[in-house]
Amino acid sequence: MATLVLAACGGGDGGDGDASEGGIYQDCKASPNTCNAVPAAQLQQGGSLTFAIEKNLPNWNVNSSEGNVFETGMTVKAFLPWTFTTTPDLKQVVNENLLVSAEQTSTSPQTIVYEIRPEAVWNDGTPITADDFVFQWKTMNGKDCPGCNASNNSGYNQVQSITGSNGGKTVTLVFATPYADWKNLFASGTPLYPAHIAAQHGDLNTPDGLAAAFTWLGANVPTYSGGAYQIQNWQDNVALTLVPNPQWYGRTKPALQQLIVRVITEASQEPIALQNNEVQVIYPQPQVDLVQQVQNIPGVSQYQGLGLTWEHLDLNLQNEFLKDEPLRDAIFAATSVQSIIDSTVGQFNEDVTPLKSHMFVPGIDGYEDYLPPEQGSGDVERARQILTEAGYTNIADGQQLTRPDGRAVPSFRIRYTVGNAIRQTTVELIQAQLRPLGINLEIVPTDDLGQTTDSGDYDMIVFAWVQTPASFSNAEQTWNSTSSQNFGQYQNPEVDRLMHEAATSTDLAAARDKLNEAGRILAEDAYVLPLYQKPTIIAAQDEVANARNNSSLDGPTYNMEEWGLRAAG
Amino acid sequence: MLAFAVRRIAVSLPILLISTFIVFMLASLSGNPLSPLLTRNPPPPPESIALEAQRLRLDHPILERYWMWLTGLFRGDFGPSVQSNLDIGAETAGRFMVTMRLIAVAMILALVLAVVVGVISAVKQYSKTDYTATFLGFLFLAMPAFWLAILLKQAGIDFNNAVDEQVIYTIGDSSVPLPQGFGAQVADIAGHMVLPTISLALISYASWSRYQRSSMLEVMNSDYVRLARAKGLSRRRVMIKHALRNALIPLTTVTALDLASIISGAVLTESVFQWRGMGDLLLNAIRTDDVYVVMAWLLVTATVVIVFNLLADLLYAVLDPRIRYA
Repeated sequence: MATLVLAACGGGDGGDGDASEGGIYQDCKASPNTCNAVPAAQLQQGGSLTFAIEKNLPNWNVNSSEGNVFETGMTVKAFLPWTFTTTPDLKQVVNENLLVSAEQTSTSPQTIVYEIRPEAVWNDGTPITADDFVFQWKTMNGKDCPGCNASNNSGYNQVQSITGSNGGKTVTLVFATPYADWKNLFASGTPLYPAHIAAQHGDLNTPDGLAAAFTWLGANVPTYSGGAYQIQNWQDNVALTLVPNPQWYGRTKPALQQLIVRVITEASQEPIALQNNEVQVIYPQPQVDLVQQVQNIPGVSQYQGLGLTWEHLDLNLQNEFLKDEPLRDAIFAATSVQSIIDSTVGQFNEDVTPLKSHMFVPGIDGYEDYLPPEQGSGDVERARQILTEAGYTNIADGQQLTRPDGRAVPSFRIRYTVGNAIRQTTVELIQAQLRPLGINLEIVPTDDLGQTTDSGDYDMIVFAWVQTPASFSNAEQTWNSTSSQNFGQYQNPEVDRLMHEAATSTDLAAARDKLNEAGRILAEDAYVLPLYQKPTIIAAQDEVANARNNSSLDGPTYNMEEWGLRAAG
Repeated sequence: MLAFAVRRIAVSLPILLISTFIVFMLASLSGNPLSPLLTRNPPPPPESIALEAQRLRLDHPILERYWMWLTGLFRGDFGPSVQSNLDIGAETAGRFMVTMRLIAVAMILALVLAVVVGVISAVKQYSKTDYTATFLGFLFLAMPAFWLAILLKQAGIDFNNAVDEQVIYTIGDSSVPLPQGFGAQVADIAGHMVLPTISLALISYASWSRYQRSSMLEVMNSDYVRLARAKGLSRRRVMIKHALRNALIPLTTVTALDLASIISGAVLTESVFQWRGMGDLLLNAIRTDDVYVVMAWLLVTATVVIVFNLLADLLYAVLDPRIRYA
């Protein structure tokens, strides 16, 4: 499966003005996990490096719903420990800095044993132990702390017990009901916070105390660290200055004297700051202009990867006309995903291809191309044939498609997030592609995507979902008949059953098969048309070592402790 | 004069109140601050969303929310931000100082440039200098501010490359960390100020220089200037002592009236140059549907505009004795 993601990775350009060489990222296509790697001994000792992020860090508790934003998640990797990392090839691997091992030791009841490295300590010398795991479990399971504003309680609410042994360095977790995504718990997206610090700000044995401690962690700039760096200074909305944590127990000691995370909220200004050497690494959302800008900067390399965020076209099944499956089949057949790609992300990344699954993206174990070939093909004749066979009339440009019962199909409102040029082009293309069928679309942008989707205020909509490498519970949250995120009201008991069986399986291979089976039914029901994986881009000065693209939610900071500057000469 | 000032302020207060009501309604109804939570994947638990809604007072009717905000102001409570850790009052005060630094320097620069160029253009009417100044004025008027800022950034980078040293910066109001030593710190801050202040100043300079030119021409052709020249006073003395003084009055009015547009210009300038002032505060608040931050922004900027217009009225009296003694 790795080959799929390698094939999907975009080319690295730039570097000393010679785009063909790919600069420091020339090996990323072949070796996404090790490209731009420089051994610690060959790094300049000391120096400063600045990495740009696009949002302020208003809340330090990334496990809270308010703090759970991508930029905060990337930044806290400098000073918080976690169990599993997603590497650039989109695999979940044990974080060997923290753990000796993490294994499922029993399937009934499902039991996970984490072995924490004996050397692992917080920067005040307190060992990292099972207590830190228990604190997180209690604040996020939705039962022990109803007042905790947790980002997510998936999985934590299925844990029966967490116990420590061996001085707290062995953590045994027992599930009440099986949970396939167990690697997501305490992982890079939900890292560990120090329970002993939290205990100073609330009684961890009471709901109110837990809530007070949880809130305190969000409100206060961390002085604690269990990572390679610790915070030296925070200028709100400007920059976070990190220095090496003297108690760092990991395998790689930071070579940098300072690592600065600079907030640049205007993505278009990032390449200019990079060109002027005010920042050395940027990780913006790629757009045509931005990619071209970066490619023209001498001494800078860039690399594009394809990640876990995927765009899709959704139909709202609450619309009585869209309830009719032949109409939905025809809409998906007439939509040309390739032409959408060619006119949008394909402008700067020729490796983006139509996505053929709702459940996995290429690169994740389990990805299967199960989409019916006609869906997303742009085959208007096939679409006409589907409609004709179903008894529709007036199937022509300039006409108004008419149902078998004689009722004219009204205009559908297709929505996208205002200001998103790529989505605007996408909906305009879909509008043009459906016109020959007598289907008219009214393009209505929204400045409030959450409200629009939550209230079902659309007939069609284009937006994106994010996956994790272990996405079994994620699938349930997105597609289940009763899920709050099933915005288009798709209902199929068979799909619900398969997804639930997958999410509660302890056999990952079987779980993947069930999810793909559910996906096949979902595709046949023509509810959501996957479009493509969104590209990500990293650009860095050529003196930067060990910073590389990671298209997962971990982002390029997954190995921050290794970042450095190449030694001169 | 004092009575006049008090009367002006008294008239401004109801206007301010009405504008807060309108903006509160528009801001509250145009978006949902819970929106990012609703589309997050995986989603936060419903309990978390309910807690957040309660904290943001979304469980109250909109009129009640406005009343809570209005009465809270008297206790120094500016309402809850979508960022639970944000003290809106303290944040706005800090941001205000950043913006005022930018606006003050830019306005002084723009005024000096506008007066000098306007006067020279008027005195040397239809000369090459006048045509050049006119061309540049219209060029800056026509040029989109965003584009101008980007061009300036590129020029700054070219300058750095030419001198092979980091002199001019394109983001922020200072480096992180600040360099050691007083001189180095001053140079660093100045290096960060160059582009934003020029960018903001040029927007206003363009129109102000045109006002100054026409105002100066009008004064130069007036009877009292001709009389002064006829009495044998030197041209230089007439221009500076008599003509310029009177020609500054229209510019004073325009400057005060333009303050609102300068603040709007500062929103863009701060965004392009990543200054964390009032402009950045507003843009971020709009992006995140942070209603109470928008309201704090409105209160501060509206007050500044009112105060500046008042100051302009008072300045008339300084510049024109006929007003002073009326």
